[in-house]
Amino acid sequence: MIVADLKPLGEIVETISHFKKISIVACGGCVSICLTGGASSADALARELGHPRHYRSLPPTFETTTIQRQCEKDFVKAFLTIPPDADAILSLACGAGVQTVAEVFNTLPVVPALNTSFLGSLDAPGIWREKCQGCGNCLLAYTGGICPVSRCAKRLLNGPCGGSKNGKCEIGDDTDCAWALIIERLKVLGRLGEYEKLFPLKDWSSDRGKGPRVLGVDKTRT
Amino acid sequence: MAYFVVNDRCNGCLSCVENCPATALSYKDANGKRTILHNMARCVRCANCWRVCPQEAIEFKHFLENRWDEVIELELIYCSVCGEPVYTSRQERTLSETIGRSLEHLCPKHKASDFAARQALALKTKRINRENLHDRR
Repeated sequence: MIVADLKPLGEIVETISHFKKISIVACGGCVSICLTGGASSADALARELGHPRHYRSLPPTFETTTIQRQCEKDFVKAFLTIPPDADAILSLACGAGVQTVAEVFNTLPVVPALNTSFLGSLDAPGIWREKCQGCGNCLLAYTGGICPVSRCAKRLLNGPCGGSKNGKCEIGDDTDCAWALIIERLKVLGRLGEYEKLFPLKDWSSDRGKGPRVLGVDKTRT
Repeated sequence: MAYFVVNDRCNGCLSCVENCPATALSYKDANGKRTILHNMARCVRCANCWRVCPQEAIEFKHFLENRWDEVIELELIYCSVCGEPVYTSRQERTLSETIGRSLEHLCPKHKASDFAARQALALKTKRINRENLHDRR
């Protein structure tokens, strides 16, 4: 799931303070589930941003709406209605959603309210943790279902570095060492012998080495 | 059958309503009763309600194992040879309007064999005509 975090309020205010009427568009997809971009977050943000203390002159007025997914152009075109008097859109989507809305409503400025953070999973209520970097060449079959690309700070593919101590990474914040987790998991699976197997150099061209990636039957269609 | 189902442990504390990120839950207090409301069109099935419910009252499995809703019932047209469903009568009407002629009620398999039979018949007729012409000469 795409996980995103609300931008600092000051940054949002700075980008919207010169507009008069702003349409806040929530997204009912991933960011709704990670409690930052859904309808309820949009209402809360509208309430907060409407407070005069954030502005030197009159605050803009806000109207909120939600669309189930902001990242599908045809869907946004068909189902997202922006009031005609709105002079800007404040999007609570991931970067893909913001860009889709900007493409559809190309005469209006579209401002992001979230920082898209990572692809992650819900580890405990309210705790999302990065689990995938979308490298385009998944190694999980060989690493006991634990990704060294996203969960090792150095993206090491052949075991832990010297900064691994008692199963934790030297970067701190109680971060698990991905390779310690992999070794434990391989032990449980009875496949520890595979740990000795050396990975060849990873081909990063599927990561972003060849530029923006496209997936589809006909990649030339837009 | 509802999607959002609570068991007898629900005490109407509104934790689910207050914590729904999609504003898919609401409530009304009227005539001495509290009613919890759920809107499936808004719901993203994130299960936050199930997570936060202090009473463990939300039977979330109904969101995952619900029944199929009947959407529409349409009259079927069957293959005149084998009886396999071919299309609906409405679909037949749309297709025949598009191609400007009525359709034969044949499944793809019998349509192919019918086409082959017609081709064979056409070839046979052509050969007979040619032979007849040859005999006359």
